[in-house]
Amino acid sequence: MKILTTVKNVVDVELNIHVENGAIVEEGLQYVINAWDESAVETAVQLKENNNAETTLVSVGGGEDNTKMIRRGYAMGIESGIQIDDAALAEGDSFVYAKVLQKVYEKGDYDLVITGKQAQDTDNGQTGIILAEYLGLPCVSNVIAIEVIDDQHIKVSRLGDAGTEIVELELPAVVTVDVSINEPRLPQMRSIMMAKKKPIDVMDLAALGTSHDEIGGATLKSEVVEFMAPEKREGGQKFEGDAAEITAQVVGLLANEAKVL
Amino acid sequence: MAKVLVIADIKQGVLKGSTAELLSKAKAIGAETAVAAIGNNIESLIPSLATSGSDTQYVADDPGLELFSAGPYACCVVDAARQFGADMIWFGFSESGKAVAPRVAAQLDAACATDITDVMLEGDQIEVIRPAITNKVIQRVKVNAGQLVAVVRAGAFEATEGITGTENVVRLSPPAPDLKAVIKEIVSEASGEIDLADADVVISVGRGVKDQAGVALVKELADELEAGFGSSRAMVDAGFMPHYKQVGQTGKIVAPTLYMAIGISGAIQHLAGMKGSKVILAVNKDPEAPIFNVADYGIVGDLFEVVPILREEIKKIRSPAG
Ligand SMILES: Cc1cc2nc3c(=O)[nH]c(=O)nc-3n(C[C@H](O)[C@H](O)[C@H](O)COP(=O)(O)OP(=O)(O)OC[C@H]3O[C@@H](n4cnc5c(N)ncnc54)[C@H](O)[C@@H]3O)c2cc1C
Ligand SMILES: Nc1ncnc2c1ncn2[C@@H]1O[C@H](COP(=O)(O)O)[C@@H](O)[C@H]1O
Repeated sequence: MKILTTVKNVVDVELNIHVENGAIVEEGLQYVINAWDESAVETAVQLKENNNAETTLVSVGGGEDNTKMIRRGYAMGIESGIQIDDAALAEGDSFVYAKVLQKVYEKGDYDLVITGKQAQDTDNGQTGIILAEYLGLPCVSNVIAIEVIDDQHIKVSRLGDAGTEIVELELPAVVTVDVSINEPRLPQMRSIMMAKKKPIDVMDLAALGTSHDEIGGATLKSEVVEFMAPEKREGGQKFEGDAAEITAQVVGLLANEAKVL
Repeated sequence: MAKVLVIADIKQGVLKGSTAELLSKAKAIGAETAVAAIGNNIESLIPSLATSGSDTQYVADDPGLELFSAGPYACCVVDAARQFGADMIWFGFSESGKAVAPRVAAQLDAACATDITDVMLEGDQIEVIRPAITNKVIQRVKVNAGQLVAVVRAGAFEATEGITGTENVVRLSPPAPDLKAVIKEIVSEASGEIDLADADVVISVGRGVKDQAGVALVKELADELEAGFGSSRAMVDAGFMPHYKQVGQTGKIVAPTLYMAIGISGAIQHLAGMKGSKVILAVNKDPEAPIFNVADYGIVGDLFEVVPILREEIKKIRSPAG
């Protein structure tokens, strides 16, 4: 089974993010692997270890941070990596990235695509599903478990509205995984060192056989025109001291001041 | 006039309140409204679909739609959208909506926006507001495509009193089943429990409650208050709470009148799911816990000591004799 995993380099959400004049202030930001993609990588590596899958990852984006992230995927156990680096990709949305990923898919001969459910910078949750539509492949999103049935079939569990949905998928297929599917491994020092020497297959759009126009880069379906700071919720009263006393006091306030009891 | 197609949120045969909320918003921005209802045995919901504020009801009622499957559901939505000539297609906040919306957008070559909290319409120009980067920023997004498919964040819009519609039912032909993604079963966990999304009071447990005994202790308080019983991700991952109880970015978004966070640190991903609550009470033994930065009332203390007192005090206040 050949697996393609998608990974995106995203801004570290744990750090402060400042907005000024409608834009995000770049200074002080750091970039890390998208948490959901880290789970996608772990899923692929486990399928390699337990089901002899071959694993490839792809990232659409350039720069040193991106390369570092791909090496992290290698250190976790991914065998080969593709990086699509093109200045024309500076502005993109989920449709554009899905189109690029479609081209990557069509160059390989993959049985399963694993994407993260959501990218932490966009919080869109769209790219994997759109990719499946473009490829005409079956797709299940928000997956929390994968079981290989045979060469042509997998069984997945998806978190749905009414409970856990069990779906049998015919390969090739696309799944998007939630972070709760696994606990991504911390790579060993030895793997990190080996990963540094591994080649990365870097391509621009032309090498991929496409163009800025074809991927829809010039005609984005939507674009962010302004970033704003979210409304801040202020902390209120904090009580310390004798548990019985302060708890009774707070219950009184909930009833009489907030009037919610 | 802009046309908005709202996808009815039907759970276990019940029409959820978000449907009327979305239809009210559509009317408020001056749109013509229709609703699409997809499921099995949903005939009885038709009158309430109209009274929720729609002027046309596209109904796909078929045994093949009993279990959720994104492919066939998307087919129904695309069919309804084309017949209606929808400029916008809105889903209420649900896992099925999040799975179907991008498919519909790809098929219609429309734009797609998830988690939106507001929509602005000026002439033909559509703009939406949505949080991103785990709620650390708010985006204003301009739609360039002719159509928009959107998933509306829970609690974003309010239903208007006295909203009306007209019954005008259009039957959709049942879609072909997805033979390549066959839904085998749904292991449903919740039945007869208070739906977190509907609850007036939600009480959630975090890693601070430690184990099953701790969960049980807080559950007693939730039962006492007839509250929805939620969880942080840590307690779900540890296997002490079921998945569907997770509150947060990857779980349920809740905005109750009162939210109690018991032994929860207040990670941004958890806050993303409950920051819209009217009043927040936090119990945590660490005075520096970030949850206190958003809590209206904070009790610094050992929850094993505080929760039983909390329960007794609430009982006292709520009993008519007291
Ligand atoms: C992509 C992504 C998505 C995520 N989605 C979600 C999500 O949807 N929902 C979610 O909740 N999390 C989510 N998380 C996880 C989140 O980052 C935190 O790890 C999680 O919320 C922590 O849960 P917790 O507060 O229960 O545990 P902890 O952070 O371990 O906090 C436990 C708290 O209990 C307190 N405590 C301990 N003992 C006591 C005691 N005896 N009395 C009182 N207080 C006590 C401690 O002081 C501490 O503050 C996500 C993470 C990622 C990366
Ligand atoms: N530029 C990109 N490069 C590689 N993968 C991506 C890219 N953008 C999105 N993806 C994948 O699609 C998922 C969903 O992204 P989004 O639709 O932006 O939430 C991510 O978790 C990634 O796995």
